[in-house]
Amino acid sequence: MADPAALFDAILTGNAKKAAEVTQAALEANVNPSELLNKYMIPAMDEVGRRFECNEYFVPELLIAARAMKASLELLTPKMAEIGTKAAGRVVIGTVKGDLHDIGKNLVASMLEGGGFEVIDLGVDVPTDKFVEAVKGEEGTILALSALLTTTMTMMKTVIEALEAAGVRAKTKVMIGGAPITQQYANEIGADGYSDNASAAVAVARKLVAG
Amino acid sequence: MPIEGLTIIGETINDSVPSTHQMFEAGDVDGLLELAKMQDERGAAYIDVNVGPRSGEFMADLVKKIQAVTAKPLSIDTPDATIARAGLAAYDPARAGGRKPVLNSISALRAEMFDLYAVRPFMPILLVSEQVVDGQSGPCHTAEQTHEAAKALLALARAKGREIPNNELIFDPGIAPIGTDAEGNLKRLVAAMALIHNDPDFAGVHMSVGLSNFTVMLPSKRADGSPVKGPLESAFLTKTMPLGLDMVIGSVKRKYDRLAPEDPAMRCVEEVLAADGFEAIMRVRDFYA
Repeated sequence: MADPAALFDAILTGNAKKAAEVTQAALEANVNPSELLNKYMIPAMDEVGRRFECNEYFVPELLIAARAMKASLELLTPKMAEIGTKAAGRVVIGTVKGDLHDIGKNLVASMLEGGGFEVIDLGVDVPTDKFVEAVKGEEGTILALSALLTTTMTMMKTVIEALEAAGVRAKTKVMIGGAPITQQYANEIGADGYSDNASAAVAVARKLVAG
Repeated sequence: MPIEGLTIIGETINDSVPSTHQMFEAGDVDGLLELAKMQDERGAAYIDVNVGPRSGEFMADLVKKIQAVTAKPLSIDTPDATIARAGLAAYDPARAGGRKPVLNSISALRAEMFDLYAVRPFMPILLVSEQVVDGQSGPCHTAEQTHEAAKALLALARAKGREIPNNELIFDPGIAPIGTDAEGNLKRLVAAMALIHNDPDFAGVHMSVGLSNFTVMLPSKRADGSPVKGPLESAFLTKTMPLGLDMVIGSVKRKYDRLAPEDPAMRCVEEVLAADGFEAIMRVRDFYA
């Protein structure tokens, strides 16, 4: 059997094929899925994030590593469900109404998946009521909103107001990001979290889950 | 520096540029005016002005102040019709030798901005990477969709009362970062430019992209210490200028060149065009890592 520790390197270097092979071999050898996730995979993505923060890695490396992580998770997730292990958290993500930009949103979604979160991607140009519907019934869901345009960023406030009107604001954590978005804007509209890059968004999401 | 046949709209006065954002936040108008002068002196044909979420009054005031230090025409850069209206109204064509301003940009999702032509005639940048079909809006995923989006905006530009001539239309087929291109956007873009370039109805139009977006999120240097961004952007220009690209919103500091086929950056762009999915991203990583 392949050494499960090789999973760390496979994800760090973005080798999706190797990551899947090591994961499959480990599962066949009855290695605990939680051990694979917590001992090798999440630490690998944390290291990817660390290298990104200090300019050793750049966005292509983030994406390639996240793909390797996803290849491994696809094998791992059914096994984790069998033994009742839950994801790090549930994130509903989308670009707000009137805005068709998806690059930043997709980056954040990839990194959150790589960070062990269940991610429901609603796409771009998402109507406000669709965001509200997606978070209903799942207490503790994180709603991640993206906008690239100064004319559409105001929709984030609209979404938060709609969450309040629907009575689900208190049960939902809202994080926002996008080129024109700042921490100050997040404060102004009452968002719970803000990140200016995809890697740091994972840390923000973990903080929101921890409360 | 510009290369022959390429018009540069100087990109620096933009609220999304971190160093410029700091100037906006600090109220450093003198600093913004120095950026205008610097871009003028270094060969920008137009000076882009993007004030972010600030007011129309702010845009109008800045347009007047920038025109006081440069005779180059301006590019009023905002998706907000109110801010655009204020910038266009404040713009003085006489100060720019009678030349019209650029309006950056109009897309199918904000086609009502054509109405601003009545405020002051402009050369619109027409963003054709977005489409509205049967009331449904969305990004263009194929070259053919992009071409159709261009046809739709061309018809609106020619509407009675404006009749903007082809040589005053600037089509932007939408460029995406090459370092994230797992969905074949570069393929779509190059093929769309060819369709527009070869369509007789578009004879004489300009084509433009926001060139710096192509290399955003990449390192500045390759493993051997040579630059990453300038060569990749030059490779893009080498590939697309024969397809009609003749304008960019870009940097006047960057040294753009036409590259030989064997240049590593040129090979990288060709490999990305030939690759599928994440292989494209890996070819970019191979170029600099």
